[in-house]
Amino acid sequence: MTSSVNHANRMKPVNRSKSIFTHLLIIIVAFVNLAPLLIVLSSSLRSPDNMTNPLNWFNEFSFKSFHTAFDRMHFPQALLNSVILTAVSVIFVVILAAMAAYPMARIRSRTSKFLYLFFLSGLVVPGQMVLIPIIQMIKDLGIPMNQYTPILMFITCSLPFSTFLYTGFIRSSVPEEMEEAAHLDGAGLFRRFWQIVFPLILPVTVSVVITQGVWIWNDYFFNMVFITKAAESPIPVAMLGFLGDQQNPAQWNVLFAACILCVIPLVAAFLFLQKYFIGGLTVGSVKG
Amino acid sequence: MTSWKKKVAGLTLASLAVASLSACGSNNNSNSEASGSPAASPSSSASASAGAGTDASKPVTLTMLLSGSKAANGPDFELDTLPKLVKEKFPNVTVEVQKLPDDQYYTAVKAKLASGEGPDFFLVFPKLANMGAIEVAKAGYAADLSDLGFWDNFSPSAKNDMSYEGKPYAVSRGMDILGAYYNKDLFAKAGITEIPKDWPSFLAASEKLKAAGVTPIAMGDKDPWVIQFGMYQLAANSVYPSDPEFDTKLQTGETHFSDAGWIKTINQYKELYDKGYVSKNSLGMASAQAMQQFVDGKAAMTFTGTWDLPGVTAKGAVDFERGFFSLPGNDAGQPVYASASTAAGYAINAKSKNLDVAKQVFEYMFDGQSPLFQAWAESNTSIPVYAGLKPNNDMFNDVLADIQSTGHAFYFSNQMWPAGVSDAMQTKFSEIIGGKKTTAEDVAKTMQSKYDELNKN
Amino acid sequence: MNRAVMKKTMYFFVLPALIFYLLFWIFPILKLFQYSVTDYNGYVQSFNYIGFDNFKTLYREEILGVSIKNTLLYTFISVILGNIIALALAFLLNANIRAKGLYRSAFYIPTLFSAIVVGFIWSYIYMPDEGLIASLLNKLGMTGLDTNFLGSYDKALYSIIAVDIWKNIGTSTIIFLAGLQTVPQDLIEAGKIDGAGRWNLVRFIKLPLLATSVTINVTLSIINGLKAFDYSYIMTNGGPGTSTNTLIFAIYKMAFTEQLFGKASALGIISFAIIIVITAVFVLTLNRREVSA
Repeated sequence: MTSSVNHANRMKPVNRSKSIFTHLLIIIVAFVNLAPLLIVLSSSLRSPDNMTNPLNWFNEFSFKSFHTAFDRMHFPQALLNSVILTAVSVIFVVILAAMAAYPMARIRSRTSKFLYLFFLSGLVVPGQMVLIPIIQMIKDLGIPMNQYTPILMFITCSLPFSTFLYTGFIRSSVPEEMEEAAHLDGAGLFRRFWQIVFPLILPVTVSVVITQGVWIWNDYFFNMVFITKAAESPIPVAMLGFLGDQQNPAQWNVLFAACILCVIPLVAAFLFLQKYFIGGLTVGSVKG
Repeated sequence: MTSWKKKVAGLTLASLAVASLSACGSNNNSNSEASGSPAASPSSSASASAGAGTDASKPVTLTMLLSGSKAANGPDFELDTLPKLVKEKFPNVTVEVQKLPDDQYYTAVKAKLASGEGPDFFLVFPKLANMGAIEVAKAGYAADLSDLGFWDNFSPSAKNDMSYEGKPYAVSRGMDILGAYYNKDLFAKAGITEIPKDWPSFLAASEKLKAAGVTPIAMGDKDPWVIQFGMYQLAANSVYPSDPEFDTKLQTGETHFSDAGWIKTINQYKELYDKGYVSKNSLGMASAQAMQQFVDGKAAMTFTGTWDLPGVTAKGAVDFERGFFSLPGNDAGQPVYASASTAAGYAINAKSKNLDVAKQVFEYMFDGQSPLFQAWAESNTSIPVYAGLKPNNDMFNDVLADIQSTGHAFYFSNQMWPAGVSDAMQTKFSEIIGGKKTTAEDVAKTMQSKYDELNKN
Repeated sequence: MNRAVMKKTMYFFVLPALIFYLLFWIFPILKLFQYSVTDYNGYVQSFNYIGFDNFKTLYREEILGVSIKNTLLYTFISVILGNIIALALAFLLNANIRAKGLYRSAFYIPTLFSAIVVGFIWSYIYMPDEGLIASLLNKLGMTGLDTNFLGSYDKALYSIIAVDIWKNIGTSTIIFLAGLQTVPQDLIEAGKIDGAGRWNLVRFIKLPLLATSVTINVTLSIINGLKAFDYSYIMTNGGPGTSTNTLIFAIYKMAFTEQLFGKASALGIISFAIIIVITAVFVLTLNRREVSA
């Protein structure tokens, strides 16, 4: 993707048989990797009572299973809930993490270093074990429990990794000189951050949006605990309803249709914004 | 997970018989009388309070958290019907319902209650079980429901099992029975002419099935709680008949799991695995998959309870007639004891801001005639213990009649254990299923040490 | 540095994030330390201080050893295998070929899935007798093989580790790939002119320059492995027996099933210690190597 690679493309005569071999190898590995998903897709396209061997690929095209799954999950509602939860959380994460990273990247002091590590260390704590004290805290603060309460946790749990990415990026890729110039022009800290630094860290913002957006979208744990009303469930919680469902034992086709419905939004986002997804991950990891 | 744990409940021998009588003896005079008079009064009191209280016009939202899965087809009683019918009766009341699988339910409801953010209505299990009435009442989370008007219509045992210090804290759905669902066609094909009435004949029947090339029993042991389904039925025969107070005595250390009764129980269940009667690879199968094997006619039996009827009667690959009997753990010549318990039911949060409204909803729901009551009764998968109601399915009639006439039944054991003991049992017993050298004594020892640890608290 | 430009008042920018972080993460974590010396059941609001009894009980019990062993095994295998496979894929995808983007997507897509979805899909794949692997083997005529993956004491843990690797390999591959693409082409050319062979190019030029990506990937997968919970929770219930009980799963079960929140907190603190020590050791070691490389 970088220019040096393209450069190489032009310089090296392509070795045909070697390239075919590479293609073949990749295709085989990719196929093995994706086979489960293809089976899932093919099964989901069968009607719920067609229980033939899943290995008979694509032997029926019916949207009946999708229909059932769609209804049972209240899909449009769940999708909307997921979009709201994820969007609101991610916006806050970006604002809070970018701001927090700014001094940590700019000031070289013990305090700054401490803060950086302090935030980063939060990454190692799993949410499952702190659940009860967290809810007690939410109660003590008088925060109501509803559909939006999980947002607090999504923001908090996203801070360690996001501040880590932002700090690294500001340190390495936003020259201090630019700020000095603005400072001489009389710009205050706030303006300097939002007008100069923030636009320059867009690549890492993309990275934060993608990495944190994906986990927030997929999280079931906090949602499951906080949400009080079935209609407020986002997609993963709606999926939970299929877990060990005794009423319709092993309706694999419906379950698979639900799985497909569940992943379609993110996969679609990925396919359309592929460049940003890959770029986002890359920026975060290489420069950080 | 399954909707199993919620059904786990307990009854004493005597009160169970009464429960069954009032549940089914619809011709009984006193019963119809009972259902006649109080039925009228709660509804009138409910409407009176709804009309009288002008504050009732201000909008109220009640939250409800339950365990279980959503109805496979059509509207779900709790998710769809209940909020609608409550709204019709009390236009200012909105009920918000969330249903989670069992395991997730426990996590969510406990975390919420512990932090004072509990839902207004939640599901409570009888006695000492996980989220049991006694525990919930002791902690002050459930509201005392003694002042509600419908108790005369419920069997006393259902009320007692949900009581703490004589006051009821939850309204049970009814009674649940554990048993073996069986495939009548496969039984006939294997030459089994009558339902096994004792342990030797059960083993013989299984042997016949196996010889006929049929998997005798399908169990989804990857969901380890299903181990309880067979175990408690055996315990009802091998532990309690000789010592009905076994579990009470456990508390004082007078009895132990290592006593002969439990060792025998565990060994009996172990025998089914040792002899290859339970589907091979059961540890890798989820309970829904085991159920599928049963409805597809690939296995002749599966152990579960009355609540699983919709799953058991789901349409599978072949059509066949289903039946239900109590797993006979008894020695030859002894009577069969069934395993039956009070089912879970709704409780009201003691700290609810709208306690009065919540109680009015209860009065309306259990008044014996309202549309909400009808819907509740129709959707009920447990055997009803409400005066005048009959079971929604007659597959259980034989077992039920037997319990009624003889009183031979005991509660589900974990009912009287601290939550966690049954898990210890499952975990250790899984080793036996997995072919390890674990013995019944090892399982009993693990159960006892977990019991000792948890009983302190 | 210009002190006037980079003033201490900048620290105000940290405040909003810090408030969130302290309130909803750090204080609750500190609460665990308090609970770890009590008999709090996570439920009834009264409890007693019982000193280090919880730790002592844990020390005596089998579950501590089992869950530590499972967690370490989980981490070790997923880190090593996951990264080796990802690195190999990255080299493969870095080859000079068409349709690279398409292939890359093929490996990346599973990382977008929710753990629940992944759990469902793989439960089917691993189902004995009728699952994907079982039917595939049947079709190939390989009957009689043991296909009881999740129900076997020997295989269950490895089976869920494989799921974890499958799910996360896309991210690691992309990060490695990015690292590979930062390797300056002239350096490679120079190496070639000096007569370096293929392997030497990889060994002495590409791998050292990949150090940053290695650090990132290994660190992330170590943390991911030590915090493993999802697949034990969704796919195996920690079973059969305790064979897929990871530390976090054991804590969860203790807290919410056995209602021993105090004891679960104690186990939580032990887990913190383990996770922090292991992560710190690795990060420090890798950082040192990265600098010297």
